[in-house]
Amino acid sequence: MNELKLGLRDNRTQFRPGDEITGAAGWKLDQPPDAVEVRLFWRTEGKGTSDTQVVHTARFDKPSPEDARPFAFTAPNAPYSFSGKLVSLVWALEMVIKPGNDASRIDVIIAPAAQEILLHKPA
Amino acid sequence: MKARENPFATSRVLKMRYQLLIASWDDLETRLATLGHRAAIVGPHGSGKTTLLEDVAGRLSLRGWNTRWLRLNEENPRLPSSDWPRVLAELGAQDCILFDGAEQLSWLAWTMFKRRSRHVGGLVVTAHRPGLLPTLHTCATHPGLLASIAGNLMGRRDAMPEEDLRDLFCKHRGNLRDALRELYDRWAQRESSAFRRSVGGNGEMVLTKYPHLQIP
Repeated sequence: MNELKLGLRDNRTQFRPGDEITGAAGWKLDQPPDAVEVRLFWRTEGKGTSDTQVVHTARFDKPSPEDARPFAFTAPNAPYSFSGKLVSLVWALEMVIKPGNDASRIDVIIAPAAQEILLHKPA
Repeated sequence: MKARENPFATSRVLKMRYQLLIASWDDLETRLATLGHRAAIVGPHGSGKTTLLEDVAGRLSLRGWNTRWLRLNEENPRLPSSDWPRVLAELGAQDCILFDGAEQLSWLAWTMFKRRSRHVGGLVVTAHRPGLLPTLHTCATHPGLLASIAGNLMGRRDAMPEEDLRDLFCKHRGNLRDALRELYDRWAQRESSAFRRSVGGNGEMVLTKYPHLQIP
């Protein structure tokens, strides 16, 4: 059974634009993979259809079936993490094993003051 | 209420799988094989045709089929590429075309598509009315199904008050997609009398019994 571990330095998940997002991806697989990718992407969630865009990718080609690799991205200037009633924009880091669908994900926040922007006042 | 926390967010609804009520998956797969893997899933708007087609695709993949998707709708009623005859010609006996929205094609375009895909191993389509291909399954909805789906999305074994649920179902004429979108709005706005009546003193949803339903 495949094991995937995706971790951020100091377990930090809240960032300002321009901050460095650092962490490590570890895996223990039954078969040697073609590649392992760590992606920084955003997606929308809410009432409508979802949109998504991968902004940064760290790719490790033909790694050992058991290994761990560090990664570092710079938090983009936009878009910011936000939530309204109709739509949320969520940033996330995802580790993907190729080929196949094995993946591990961590949601993060990228916004000024490292706080998700709320488009409405909480109840 | 944040959009991403709304239990009726599109991403969560799309993860719901089709609930077969009067047949088993074995029955469905047997019938599809009997029909030569050329069949239609029929039903009105918002009755789960696309969801069922996706589930059929998953089962076909498990059985070794190569699945190829085509999706048409009212906004995109034409086949995606002018060289689709060449694309079809490259498919073979182990390929199955999953054609969501096949009825968007004109009669002539559908006739040509059917003819040019005769050599392909399988063709399963969705349509609002029977007639394109032999019917594999007819999707139908009822208030209890809406209750089951809503219960699963909310993660609790409760449901809306029966009368409000029936009103919602009737308002949208059985279209579960539209009903779930309204549930999204109600949850976001917290204006629904259904939710207000359902909320107990401690803010928790009270149980409403649907003994005839199985909510996993």
